[in-house]
Amino acid sequence: MNRRGFVSLLLGGGILGWLGAVLYPIISYLNPPKVPEANVQTVKAGSASDFPKNTAQIVKFGRKPVILIKTNNDEFLAFAATCTHLDCIVQYRGDLKQIWCACHNGLYDLKGRNISGPPPKPLDEYAVNIVEDEIHISEMG
Amino acid sequence: MGFYEAEKTHRVLSIVTAIAILVVFQLLMWPSSVSAEQEAELPDDQCVRCHQEMEILPEGFVPHDVHLQDGLSCAGCHGGDPTSDDEDAAMSPEAGFVGVPSKSETSAFCGKCHSDIEFMRGYLPRIPTDQIAQYATSGHGKGLAAGDVKVAGCVDCHTSHGILPASDSRSSVHALNVPHTCKRCHSDAEYMSGYGIRTDQFEKFAESVHGVALFENQDTGSPACNDCHGNHGASPPQVESIRQVCGHCHVNNMLYFNASTMAVAFKANGFHACEECHGNHGVKKTTDDMVGVGEESTCVGCHDGDAGYRAAEVIREHLRELVSAYEEAEVWRTEVHRKGMDDVEIGFLLQESHQNLIKARTLVHTFDPEKVGEMTTGGVAKARTALELAVEQVEEYDFRRRGFGLATIFITILIVALFLRIRQMEAK
Repeated sequence: MNRRGFVSLLLGGGILGWLGAVLYPIISYLNPPKVPEANVQTVKAGSASDFPKNTAQIVKFGRKPVILIKTNNDEFLAFAATCTHLDCIVQYRGDLKQIWCACHNGLYDLKGRNISGPPPKPLDEYAVNIVEDEIHISEMG
Repeated sequence: MGFYEAEKTHRVLSIVTAIAILVVFQLLMWPSSVSAEQEAELPDDQCVRCHQEMEILPEGFVPHDVHLQDGLSCAGCHGGDPTSDDEDAAMSPEAGFVGVPSKSETSAFCGKCHSDIEFMRGYLPRIPTDQIAQYATSGHGKGLAAGDVKVAGCVDCHTSHGILPASDSRSSVHALNVPHTCKRCHSDAEYMSGYGIRTDQFEKFAESVHGVALFENQDTGSPACNDCHGNHGASPPQVESIRQVCGHCHVNNMLYFNASTMAVAFKANGFHACEECHGNHGVKKTTDDMVGVGEESTCVGCHDGDAGYRAAEVIREHLRELVSAYEEAEVWRTEVHRKGMDDVEIGFLLQESHQNLIKARTLVHTFDPEKVGEMTTGGVAKARTALELAVEQVEEYDFRRRGFGLATIFITILIVALFLRIRQMEAK
């Protein structure tokens, strides 16, 4: 290979490598991560009218799980879903109308107050707003 | 200096002097102002007036006593006429004066109001009115009824003239202060001699998981003496009631234990349920090594080579397997987090895995290896999924670093090639 060929090869290879180095981050950026951004202020939790009464679901609020409850009176409530005792994920008990931790049978009322079992503190409350039938959960204050 | 300037100087001096006099006056008056304010908090009746003048107010008498604050003055408990300035008339039996009750009379003395629901409704509608009835069933109450005046009566715990509601952190019966109040008698070996009761409860409690939570973490949800022994009806929990006492907070542990074959064996042998493995006042934070057949195991105290021994071994192994899987995944999650990669999903999976571990530890009280194993298997699966995700993230991080290095090399080559091409073109 003569000098001209070597320089052309070097130039072509360099351009290809440069294109790869530029395009890979762009393609990676266009391909969204599996979970939303960790530091969030508000999350959307689906349609309010489709949410069955007297049920709940766990919503991922950034890094924290939040329990979203719809009462029999069509009222939406949201609390931190991490039990204040040993960090288990709490559940909603439709039969008791209370929030229940299966790990040690801790109970919270629908204001998030610890009312039975070992939980030492209440659950943090989140604000729930319905905007055009869409549930928005946000941090209080 | 003209008249105008002299007058101006004089006026300024007058104002400064007036301010100085006012400041000095306020400073001189300040202590008596505070004292007047304190006096204003006391009821304005003849009992307080005379006893204050004669400096014979009772020991521990404080203006913020809950009874004084509610307008119940000396005569409210001791009787007499608080309007009369004649000592003999004011403190005469005709005026209803009953004086200071003896120790054995105290509960009836306080019970005059505190057992009267109609009366108490006017002050604290939600306060229970069965304290005296409960006290009569307690070790203290029974002792007092039998003539033992060393036992605790109302004022020994609540004080006489500085009573505060239990919700007030200054109160002797506030959750954080109860152990110290009980300790006054129960840790005094000399005072307690003759009762056949140990006096190391406070020391043990202070080092226990409950005591550390209460004293160090100020967690008033943690039990103090009265939460297990009762308040006014204080007595040691009996064999039958111990698991109910612990189960008041540790509900699942009690339910699992009650439904287990172990509960039957414990009852047959007169064992003290929870206390047999966990102790009482000095209950320590549990460890997985309390199960199994190792040195710290509580199982081997009764089981040796039998089915219970083998069950303990299997349960311990299940727990070890989950703890190991969880800890390995947690190390990788920390690495993912440290590298600034996405660890949110891994965190959720590990939280679920940890939840399985907590449930498995509670299920130990079923003493059933299958139930514990079912729970730990689920936890191990979640931990392994989390581990796979974490490994993927770390590999992605390494790939990006290598890619960045390669990109740098390529760009350098490109620059060199361009330089050479330009030189070639210039040489033509």
